[in-house]
Amino acid sequence: MKPEEVDRILAQAAHRAAPPDISRRVIERVENVLVSDLRPVRPLAPPWASGTAFLILFAAVAAAAAAALGLHGVAVLAGEQRALIFPSLLLAALLAAAACVRQMRPAAGASLETMALVVSALGFPALFWLLFRGYDTGNLVSEGVPCLIAGMSVAIPTGILAALVLRRGFVMDWSRAGLAAGTLAGLAGLAMLELHCPNLKAIHVIVWHVGVVVFSAALGLATGSAADRLRRRKAIRRAI
Amino acid sequence: MKVFSCRRDLFSPEGFAPVASAAGIMDSDGLFALLPPREGPVMPVRSTPDRTPLLELELLMSGYQQADEEAVRTLIEKVSPLLLRYFWVQAANRRFAEDLMQETWMRIHRARHTYRRGEPVLPWILAIARHTGVDNYRKVRRVEVRETQVDILPETAAAAQHFTRDAPDLDMLLAELPPSQREVIVMLKVSGMSIDEVARATSSSAGSVKQKAHRAYTKLREVLSGRGGAHEA
Repeated sequence: MKPEEVDRILAQAAHRAAPPDISRRVIERVENVLVSDLRPVRPLAPPWASGTAFLILFAAVAAAAAAALGLHGVAVLAGEQRALIFPSLLLAALLAAAACVRQMRPAAGASLETMALVVSALGFPALFWLLFRGYDTGNLVSEGVPCLIAGMSVAIPTGILAALVLRRGFVMDWSRAGLAAGTLAGLAGLAMLELHCPNLKAIHVIVWHVGVVVFSAALGLATGSAADRLRRRKAIRRAI
Repeated sequence: MKVFSCRRDLFSPEGFAPVASAAGIMDSDGLFALLPPREGPVMPVRSTPDRTPLLELELLMSGYQQADEEAVRTLIEKVSPLLLRYFWVQAANRRFAEDLMQETWMRIHRARHTYRRGEPVLPWILAIARHTGVDNYRKVRRVEVRETQVDILPETAAAAQHFTRDAPDLDMLLAELPPSQREVIVMLKVSGMSIDEVARATSSSAGSVKQKAHRAYTKLREVLSGRGGAHEA
C-alpha cells in the first residue's frame, strides 16, 4: 500500500468524522464572555528581551552573591581555566534562558529545558575533569556540603525570581517551566561557586558544584509539578 | 473568582429565539464553567478544515489584542469549528468537545498578550487547545476514580460511526497509534496543518514531527494491509 493510499483513506475517514454542528448560542456565549472582559493588552516582550532578562538575572545574582561571600575562587583559577569556565557558564545559561523563554508562550518552538539540563549536568563535569586534578575523597562530604548549601542559597532566590519573570507570559506546563528555571538557577549557583570557592579538587567541583545544578533543576521540576497538580486539583474540586 | 452574566437576548441576531440570561463562571485560572443549552440555531461544522487565509487570522488576532470587538467575534466564528473538530476526533475528549472548545477560548483570552504579530495563529491556538485537552483528560481520569454511579445513566448520542468494510473509521485507525503519533496525524490530516505548524503547536522540531508521521504511516499501512488481506481471505 502506497503512502498516497493511506493519505486518501485517512482523508476519507477524517471527512466522515465530522462533529455535530455547533450551537449558535454556545458561540455567542463565548463571544459575549470574552467581549465583556475585553481590554487592550500589551504584547509580551520579544523573546530576545525576555532572554536578556533571564541572563541578567543569572549574572547579577551570581556576581552579587560571590562578591558578598568573597571572590576567592576566581583568584586561584589559572587564566585558561577562567577563559574556559566562565564563557561555558554563559553559554549554558543562554540555553537555559532560551528554554525559559520558550515556556512563556504557546507554540514558541521546540522545548529546550531537557537539553539545557543534560548539557549542564554532563558538559561541566567533562570540562572540570579536563581542567582540574585531584580525586582524593578525604573530607569530600565535609568540604562539599557547605558549597552545596551556598549554591542552593543562591539558586533558590534565582529560581523564584525566574518564576516571577515566567509569570509574565502564559506558562502551560509548569513542570517544564520549573525544570528550565531550576536549571538556570542552578547555573547561577554554580557560577557563584566558581567565583567564590577556592577548592579546585576535581572531585569536589564535579560532585558538589555541578550537584547544585542537578539539585536545583530537580527542585524546579518538583515545584512546577506541584503547581500543576494543585491547579488540576482545584479544577477537579470544581468538577465534583 | 469572577462571575460573568450576559443577557443573551441583547445579542441575539434577528431570527434567533431570545433566551434568558446565561451565566459563565471564570476563576483565577481562567477555567470556565458554562451551562450549555444545546437547542437553538447551529453553526455548521465543515467536514474539511476551514483554512481561513492565515493573514486574515493574524489580523484578527492583532485586533483581539487591541480590544477590537468585531475582530474577536469574527475570530471566534472562524476558529471555533476547527477547535471543535480537533477535540471531536479525539475519542478521549469527544464527549467534552464543546466544553473544551469553550475552555480553550477562555485560555486564549488569558494568553492573548503572548501572541506575537506576524507569527502563525493556528499553531498558537492549537498549542493551547492541546494543553486544554491534556488537562481535561487528567482531570476526567481523577474525577472518575472518585465518582460512584448511583443510577443507570441515560444513553447519550454516540459519535457518528461510519464503519464499512472498505472505509475504516477514523477512531479505529487512530486507536492503532501511540498518543504522540495520533496527535501528529490529527493535526496534519484533520486540522490540515503543515509540518512546521504542527511542530510549533507540539513544541517539537519539524524533524520529530516528520518522524512521527512516517512511523504512523508505516503502522497504518500495516493495519490497512492486514485489513485488506483479511477481506480478500
